[in-house]
Amino acid sequence: MSCSSQSRGLCAEISWEFKNVSRLFSTATPLHLCFSGGAVPSDSEATLSPFSQIQTLFRMGAGREVSISLDGVRDKNLMQLKKLNIALFPVRYNEKYYADALASGEFTKLAYYSDICVGAIACRLEKKENGGQIRVYIMTLGVLAPYRGLGIGTKLLNHVLDLCSKQNISEVYLHVQTNNEDAINFYKKFGFEITETIQNYYTNISPPDCYVLTRHTVQSPTKK
Amino acid sequence: MGASLPPKEANLFKLIVKSYETKQYKKGLKAADAILKKFPDHGETLSMKGLTLNCMDRKSEAYELVRQGLKNDLKSHVCWHVFGLLYRSDREYREAIKCYRNALKIDPDNIEILRDLSLLQAQMRDLSGFVETRQQLLTLKPNHRMNWIGFSVAHHLNSNASKAVEILEAYEGTLEDDYPPENERCEHGEMLLYKISLLEECGLLESALEELRKKESKIVDKLEYKEQEVSLLVKLGRLEEGEVLYQALLSMNPDNYRYYEGLQKCVGLYSVNGQYSPDEIDRLDSLYKSLGQQYKWSSAVKRIPLDFLQGDKFRAAADNYIRPLLTKGVPSLFSDLSSLYNHPGKADILEQLILELEHSIRPAGQYPGRVEKEPPSTLMWTLFLLAQHYDRRGQYEVALSKIDEAIEHTPTVIDLYSVKSRILKHAGDFAAAAAFADEARCMDLADRYVNSECVKRMLQADQVALAEKTAVLFTKDGDQHNNLHDMQCMYELASGESYFRQGDLGRALKKFLAVEKHYADITEDQFDFHSYCLRKMTLRTYVEMLKFQDRLHSHVYFEKAAAGAIRCYIKLHDSPPKSTTEEDDEMSKLLPSQKKKMRQKQRKAEARAKKEAEEKNEELNAGGASKSGKRHVKPVDPDPHGEKLLQVEDPLSEATKYLKLLQKNSPDSLETHLLAFECYTRRNKILLALQAVKRLLKLDAEHPDSHRCLIKLFHKVGSMNAPVTDGEKLIWSVLEAERSTISQLHEKSLVEANNAFLENHKDSLMHKAAFAEILSILDLNRKSEAVKLVEESTNNFVPSNGALGPIREWTLKDCIAVHKLLGTILHDQDAALRWKSRCAEYFPYSTYFEGSCSSVSPNSVYSQLSKNSEHESSNHSTGSQNAGPIKSNGKLDAFKDLTI
Repeated sequence: MSCSSQSRGLCAEISWEFKNVSRLFSTATPLHLCFSGGAVPSDSEATLSPFSQIQTLFRMGAGREVSISLDGVRDKNLMQLKKLNIALFPVRYNEKYYADALASGEFTKLAYYSDICVGAIACRLEKKENGGQIRVYIMTLGVLAPYRGLGIGTKLLNHVLDLCSKQNISEVYLHVQTNNEDAINFYKKFGFEITETIQNYYTNISPPDCYVLTRHTVQSPTKK
Repeated sequence: MGASLPPKEANLFKLIVKSYETKQYKKGLKAADAILKKFPDHGETLSMKGLTLNCMDRKSEAYELVRQGLKNDLKSHVCWHVFGLLYRSDREYREAIKCYRNALKIDPDNIEILRDLSLLQAQMRDLSGFVETRQQLLTLKPNHRMNWIGFSVAHHLNSNASKAVEILEAYEGTLEDDYPPENERCEHGEMLLYKISLLEECGLLESALEELRKKESKIVDKLEYKEQEVSLLVKLGRLEEGEVLYQALLSMNPDNYRYYEGLQKCVGLYSVNGQYSPDEIDRLDSLYKSLGQQYKWSSAVKRIPLDFLQGDKFRAAADNYIRPLLTKGVPSLFSDLSSLYNHPGKADILEQLILELEHSIRPAGQYPGRVEKEPPSTLMWTLFLLAQHYDRRGQYEVALSKIDEAIEHTPTVIDLYSVKSRILKHAGDFAAAAAFADEARCMDLADRYVNSECVKRMLQADQVALAEKTAVLFTKDGDQHNNLHDMQCMYELASGESYFRQGDLGRALKKFLAVEKHYADITEDQFDFHSYCLRKMTLRTYVEMLKFQDRLHSHVYFEKAAAGAIRCYIKLHDSPPKSTTEEDDEMSKLLPSQKKKMRQKQRKAEARAKKEAEEKNEELNAGGASKSGKRHVKPVDPDPHGEKLLQVEDPLSEATKYLKLLQKNSPDSLETHLLAFECYTRRNKILLALQAVKRLLKLDAEHPDSHRCLIKLFHKVGSMNAPVTDGEKLIWSVLEAERSTISQLHEKSLVEANNAFLENHKDSLMHKAAFAEILSILDLNRKSEAVKLVEESTNNFVPSNGALGPIREWTLKDCIAVHKLLGTILHDQDAALRWKSRCAEYFPYSTYFEGSCSSVSPNSVYSQLSKNSEHESSNHSTGSQNAGPIKSNGKLDAFKDLTI
């Protein structure tokens, strides 16, 4: 199912604007992170079946099992992602965000908690400036407040990381506000590191700075 | 055939027939022309040429040729048969039957013609003729199974089930013992089951049971076998055996409610109205407890006890029933429970119960008395259930606050928006309801159900254009409106009602008549089954289908459409199509702001219509050239807005057509006789009006409308001139005689009868309104008294222990009716205004009364919504923040000014 990361003539330049949400977590496990970005690297190459669902069972209370599954984003259910973003983030995303998310194919997923859509990860595939390698930019990752602490964010992030390793994508990055410790700690658990600090990335919020969190993996030389 | 022709031409003639059967029409046409070159007057060839042309969509030529052919050769059965086929293709079955009969006079044993005739007779329910034709077919070809079966079914339909049994038995007598062969076992089994159902119909229960058991090995449908067996046993009163069988059936399917019902009957614990003595309830309780042990996965076995249990036992059972379903997240839970709201007291218990769950889950995340944590979604489903509960109780404000909380908890669940839409509809705000239905729709664009529901709401909010655009999203591309019609989804009904409300009688009639057309099509659709079912032996379903077709027009959609059409015609009669000045008149009655709005709306609609017409034309021009050759192009509707329908000479006689259908098919509906009353009084058919009144009284003598019609009729009679002609005298004497038989009027004046009516129904708003209306009719001077009486009514509280605030008696619908009475019948505008502001208090969400929370009020949360909905883009999905202000965790305020 996986595709090798071939290079195609993609625009290598990436512009990004902005921002993140601070700690919205009152609970112990924080997963409410939001990032947004700019250019339009559309690569519809990640053509895993849009309908493939990944399921796990989650244990609730005494012996009750609730299944958590992931589903792709399509034009028919795009509104679900919009609803989540309205509830989770203070920003209204523009059409480009949604176009990027749709174009990223398997890299954008909705998480369902026993048939209820409760979270999402939305990524953008980008061309790196040199060498034409593809990297993944996580635009948003979030779970509705009542459903946090159930491993849903972890599952979403793991899905993207697994996909990256299957497709030999070595770089995943995102932006996070410098004081959002919960989020930073969350990502660190998955091997992300602070690789850059951008001063005055945000307007109107304090602190206005953000970190770039990046996760590099050694690219496996094997080809499929 | 073609006998009179020389051999070469005779062969050509055979070729025509063959080409017709194989649909090679061009070839057939060529052959026909070749014969006609030599024998231009050859009747059969002319006929066949016509029939061929008929299949090539050249109707008028076809009729011409077929008629000419027949004229040239009146003695030819071919010509008559062809004529019949031509009529049949145009659904003129009566004419077709005549032609076939003529053909058979010439060639009485022609199997093809006989078969064609029998199909038509079945379709037209010419049952004695059907029997005759079938008998002839059997006599001619007794070795065909289908002829035996056909003859038997014919007798059955002709109400002679015992004869039908005899025929089937005779047929069985012709079979070998080892019949049926492997590949016909299903058909044979069906035939046997049909025979047994016939025996049952004849009342021969014993022999039916005996036959059933004897043929067990030959009956393939084992489930049907068991169900038939148990039904016979119960009818025979052999309840103990029945009980055993029902237990066996339950072990096959423990969720079939009919099996439980049957089992209850067998153990003597069944009552039609669901009323049981305390002792019976105890016995039922233990019965279902033991069944519950046996069938742990059955939901029926858990649900049924809620119907008969009372008080604390009901509460405990309901608690047990509801909890796991809330945990699991079953959106249909409320509709599952909704029938319990008709049982006295249960709604209160349910309310307390669900509130208790809510109060425990919200802070602690667990059910009362339990330690397990519930999933986070349980709170949302509980709120969802509560919202529907309060909606059902008419406490819309509470319902809305509950549903809003649920939406805030989990904003991605589509059902929440659907229910919010429904609550707003009940509360009287159709525009807001449509907006939320649209939001639900946008959340899953692939779901036809939410799309349909949205269309319905839009039509209720009189947004017809938007509704059509939305509905069309789920039709195939191409000629979309025709396609929508072909789907027979009955959307025309709601659309017609909307046009009627908006006063567009032409379009309304057009839509109502389209529904009538659907029913004509459904009747038509049975035609193919007359031959198919006999061949496939699905006889029980076939006969059932025919019976369904016989009462097809009693279906509620047809009833509504016919009533709608009649109302249109009555309105047309009362106020014939108006000139422009009158329209302006109507405009002047509106407030300036409304006027402006309406003009804007009209302008917009006109512009839109223009644009659409242009687009359509372009499409036609673009697609027409390439496709016109192949595709069967539907004729363009010459009267898309129903303007021609408005030009009828005598609207009331048109109305009578549909009225007769209603009287025949829906005689138990008050509405039917109300409309009959309205029609006949307008046509001065006093005796028919009297008949309508008598039927109303018989159906519901205490109904306000029955009372209204009764007094109005005799008031009208009293104000007529004394009879002059013999006919009039006769009518009067009938009226005299009838009046004395009507107990309401017995030895009473109309005024006294009216007073007595009020005395009997002092506490009911609608009865009071009827009294007031009649009072003002009987004595114009007492109009102010009538108004005062209505205004003095008090909206009392319903006796109930609702936990969250009291519930009032009056319904929105009734209050709107009273408002119309005050304004348009009693003509007291001041009183109407007072009534309106009073009702705006009772119904703050009502747009009709312009309540403070409704979308027409500028201060309400929904005011923005109704404006949005006027921007008629079919995809205004971005309005989603209307779902309720989003304030996630209250910490987002700082980011409001963020720039993107």
